[in-house]
Amino acid sequence: MHSRLSNAMDKILARRALQVCAAAAMLAVLAACSSSGGAPTTVNQQTTTVTTQQYTGPPAQNADIQAFQVNLWQNIIPSNRCGGCHHQGGQSPMFARSDDVNQAYQAALPLVSLTDPSQSTLVLKVGGGHNCWVADPSACAATMLVWIQNWLGAGASSTTSVVLTAPPVQAAGGGKQFPADPTVGNPSYQASVYPLLTKFCSGCHNPSSASPQQPYFADPNNIDAAYVAAQPKIDLAQPNQSRFYERLANEFHHCWPTASSNGAPDCPGSAAAMLAQITAFANGIPITPIDPTLVVSNAVSLTQGTIAAGGARFEGSLIATYMFETGQGSTAYDTSGVTPEADLTLSGNVSWVGGWGLMFGMGSAAQASTSASAKLANMIQESGEYSIEAWAAPADVAQTAAWIVSYSGSNTTRNMTLGQAADQYEGFTRSGVTNTGGTPPLVTTTTNGAAQAALQHVVLTYDPVNGQKLYVNGVFTGDMDPSKGGSLANWDSTFALVLGNETSGQRQWQGVIKMVAIYNTALNQAQITQNFNAGVGQKYYLLFGVSTLSGVNQSYIMFTASQYDNYSYLFYNPTFISLDPNATIPANLAVAGMRIGVNGLLAPGGQSFATLNATLGGSSYSAANGQQLSRLGTVIPVSLGAANDLFFLSFDQFGSNSHTFVDPPGIPTPPVPDNTPVPDYGIATYERINNTLARLTGVPITDQVVQTLYMNSQQAMPATPLISAFVSSAQTAISGLANGYCGEMMASSSLRDAFFGTGLDASLTAGASGFFGASGSPQRAIVINGLSNAIGSTAQPQMASAVAAEVDALITRVPQINSAATVTQATVAACTASLASAAVTLQ
Amino acid sequence: MNVMTTGTGPGRAPRATLTACTLLLLAQPLAPAFAGPNEQAKRMYERIAGIPPSAAELTQMTNAICGGPCAAGAAGAAPGSAGLLQAATVATGASSFYNVTLKNFSMPWTNRSATVFAPLNDYVATVIGMVRDNVAFNTALSADILYTSNASGLPAPSAANNNHYATAEQNGVDLMSTLVKGTQSGTYGTPGAAVAGLITTRGAASAFFINGTNRAMFRFTMINQFCNDMPTLMDTTRPSDRIRQDVARSPGGDSRIFLNNCVGCHSGMDPMVQAFAYYNFDATAGQMVYTPGQVQPKYLINATNFPFGFVTPDDSWQNRWRAGPNTVLGWSGGLPGSGNGAQSLGQELASSATFAQCQVSKVFQAVCFRAPVSSTDLATVSSITSSFTSGGYNLKQVFQQSAAACPGS
Repeated sequence: MHSRLSNAMDKILARRALQVCAAAAMLAVLAACSSSGGAPTTVNQQTTTVTTQQYTGPPAQNADIQAFQVNLWQNIIPSNRCGGCHHQGGQSPMFARSDDVNQAYQAALPLVSLTDPSQSTLVLKVGGGHNCWVADPSACAATMLVWIQNWLGAGASSTTSVVLTAPPVQAAGGGKQFPADPTVGNPSYQASVYPLLTKFCSGCHNPSSASPQQPYFADPNNIDAAYVAAQPKIDLAQPNQSRFYERLANEFHHCWPTASSNGAPDCPGSAAAMLAQITAFANGIPITPIDPTLVVSNAVSLTQGTIAAGGARFEGSLIATYMFETGQGSTAYDTSGVTPEADLTLSGNVSWVGGWGLMFGMGSAAQASTSASAKLANMIQESGEYSIEAWAAPADVAQTAAWIVSYSGSNTTRNMTLGQAADQYEGFTRSGVTNTGGTPPLVTTTTNGAAQAALQHVVLTYDPVNGQKLYVNGVFTGDMDPSKGGSLANWDSTFALVLGNETSGQRQWQGVIKMVAIYNTALNQAQITQNFNAGVGQKYYLLFGVSTLSGVNQSYIMFTASQYDNYSYLFYNPTFISLDPNATIPANLAVAGMRIGVNGLLAPGGQSFATLNATLGGSSYSAANGQQLSRLGTVIPVSLGAANDLFFLSFDQFGSNSHTFVDPPGIPTPPVPDNTPVPDYGIATYERINNTLARLTGVPITDQVVQTLYMNSQQAMPATPLISAFVSSAQTAISGLANGYCGEMMASSSLRDAFFGTGLDASLTAGASGFFGASGSPQRAIVINGLSNAIGSTAQPQMASAVAAEVDALITRVPQINSAATVTQATVAACTASLASAAVTLQ
Repeated sequence: MNVMTTGTGPGRAPRATLTACTLLLLAQPLAPAFAGPNEQAKRMYERIAGIPPSAAELTQMTNAICGGPCAAGAAGAAPGSAGLLQAATVATGASSFYNVTLKNFSMPWTNRSATVFAPLNDYVATVIGMVRDNVAFNTALSADILYTSNASGLPAPSAANNNHYATAEQNGVDLMSTLVKGTQSGTYGTPGAAVAGLITTRGAASAFFINGTNRAMFRFTMINQFCNDMPTLMDTTRPSDRIRQDVARSPGGDSRIFLNNCVGCHSGMDPMVQAFAYYNFDATAGQMVYTPGQVQPKYLINATNFPFGFVTPDDSWQNRWRAGPNTVLGWSGGLPGSGNGAQSLGQELASSATFAQCQVSKVFQAVCFRAPVSSTDLATVSSITSSFTSGGYNLKQVFQQSAAACPGS
């Protein structure tokens, strides 16, 4: 079966068009129609700056040749492009001859694939480096593709189809498997990585920590549990992709001091030490075949997938576009095909991301020259309209005054800007009704929270009637431009196009931009929806062969996949399909528990299809579209990189084949006793104090005076019984409340008598000095005994005794401070000092 | 300084002096911990009831400790002894145990900032009532139960405001004697299928069903009733199929954040939070909204963050933590681990071993003023947990046992 498929490959017999204009859910992804009813690709406008010879040969004989002439031919005939060799009398084929466009057309036809323009010889040649006119062949290929698509789209109607191509038959390879026992190996996990983790990470990643943080890979008391938790953080195939290493090397997460760092955290040193241990551990593990008990599909790499070419973007009126396919270097090419190319020069902390894109960090920008940027002003001023379209992922939703795309001259002068302000997007367009900085801007409402720290499709349009409009993920935000109706006549053509910043470098935007396109028309809702639905980045259809499992000829589980960012792949829309249009699906063919594997190992996380449970065939399956198994998608971590990662699928069940997946075990981690002595006492908290004072004095908590005091001061009193959390302000608040209770108690004869007896009643306003006399007097005993009893002379006699001595001293002290002090004042002072003391508040 | 001139009213003593005086007392060397029956009784009472005992209560407790009137110089009882347990029942019979201790104990569970400084609400009142009436606490997250006060002068309980409870607190109403057991369906008119114990009280709904995505209800239930916040529960190995569309898979362009962090919580949380798919709290109307059969829009927001994420169709939930590392949470073997709605999820959570351990740990810490970390305390908590789960989930008994376990020595 496989060999037949392989032969078929060679003879291109195993190809079958998957008509993407058919109505089906998956067509939203596959759709690539360029005719009416789907995704028309319209002709780019010619820029006035394109430089070509005046054509004096025979006119184009029909509309298609005319389209060829306008869209492709006049772009390739310059001598620095194809016309330098493939001109008349030059190297064959002479598709770039400038003397007769009709003959050039005939020569070009064999070089163009009508069904899949991306596979056209012209595209493949320049993409392979053949006489590319810029430094990056991928930019030439993209530009050539645009020209060809424009030609085809502008000519006769055509329906683009995706041709699924069977990948080479290959088995899922082996890989390094974690030894079952952490103490086994040379070196073992116990002797390599584990000591570093327990030494430096157990402060948090340890269930016995004061601030435990999963995963508990640094549990010093349970190596088995720690080993299970550590495995997802270690990449045995690529140690420097291990999370343990990355956290230290790139994210500076809790680095530790090393011998050479004089006590300071040393991230490079920490990372190196970690990498050395992981590498040693990984090197000691041999590559073993894939687990033979798994039920697996054939394997396929990303680039062995069928390219989901083109999409169905609206690209009419495009005047600059950046797909960021180059992936390296310091230039991001404008592949709109509209000259002059406004290529961007990357500066500062900007880096390429996998799956096409640029990541902008602090101090970064990508800027075009002012001369090349001038085409924007020229062409937009001609039409009076424009659109900026971007696929962008903000790093966060806190950044403000952050320009994603700007065509401007300074912080205060601009032609147009698409920016982010926290969770809002904003648009600035200089016009006759704004200042030179384009203010007042259009800002999305905060309630919508338009900006998210996720990949978003953002479009800013401008036309004189509506002014600016913002669309996020294909949806108009509904926000109205405060300054519509202006003319763009005052635009300045000396400004520069810049991404991720302002030309001044003072409007930094951080995040990832995966595509930017600029148009000189205001895209309408349908066009924006179309481009949003087309998505961004290169997508592939990955065909995982399952014929031996299903018994169905040339059958596959087809995923749509792409590189999602530098660190993961996106897999979505799994579909069962046979490339044999006559294949029959057996009844009750069950598929369950599908997991994605990479390089011989199941991905440690992101297994969104592990719960899949489907029955194949029947009315759910059609020969044209197969059978969608799930509308879900997931992200799978990159291991060796897009060029080398080999994916496979495993199944808990596929037909009669089954495998029991074993989840990682739940290993109990009983708390480790900490016998460090802790305080045996605590402080009464706020409401306990309030109720305690109420009980001791007899004053109800609803008493107006104390209730007001309590409500005003309760939050200043202890909220927790921890003695270590007790502060002086809490004592002050307690004293204030005790003072209130004592005052209210003294003011009530019944409560006063209940507390002190009647001995004070006749002398409340008498002088304290004279009334209380010297220590040991019976008058003093009235107060001292009352307070000692309240403290609890029975329950805590020592405390009561201490209070008695202190109260006695206080009664002596008060008249010394103020000779006019009354009995009431001195008693309240003594009461307050006692009831607010630790004798009462300590529990 | 004339200290008497700063007084603000009759009998007010100046604070500066008072503070100095009290600090003097605080600075005085404290006597070593007492072990006598008086001290044990006073401590147990204060730890449970929050205030000092009356003389009569003290005597009642010391008699229990000594098995009759204590002889002079009698030693206290050993921690956990029957005498101490009996003495503790005196303290749990005090109204301030309900009005103060239990209120402060449960109030932080009812708001996002975990503050105790919040008005009394139906959540707290229901906890207090359940403890008073010895209602099995493992029904706390599922039962159709609600406690209101029958004190005079209070506004009627309402699903649309908290006035009934706030006024009760303001009036100093004794909750122990006035709380009356009722139902949420009867008092609030909540549909029976929508009731899930404390989860669907107005107090919880107003704090955790308001705005957002309803994940807060799950997270705070974990914090308050499982004694675990999400960082200690995360498990990156669970299938990610039920993670909703609003969770970005590449936040800021870095999918490592999702694969190493976000997925750890959301893969387990989102399938369970689905139980709350029909709930919302309408801040304008001031009451919980329940829309049977209709998923709340909050479950479907930000769908373009990851279009291939899960789209919530109903309120069916699954406990994915029944497999993998979180099996150690001790799920009940008698339950299926899946269902529809908050009530069955509440049963699932409250039937776990971790729920029971958490309740006991919380009570132990509240009574003993320390987390159970020593080997002795851990053994004590384990023992109390066993009797809690086997003895009808009586939380009042846990207070008594905890107080008896740390009476001072």
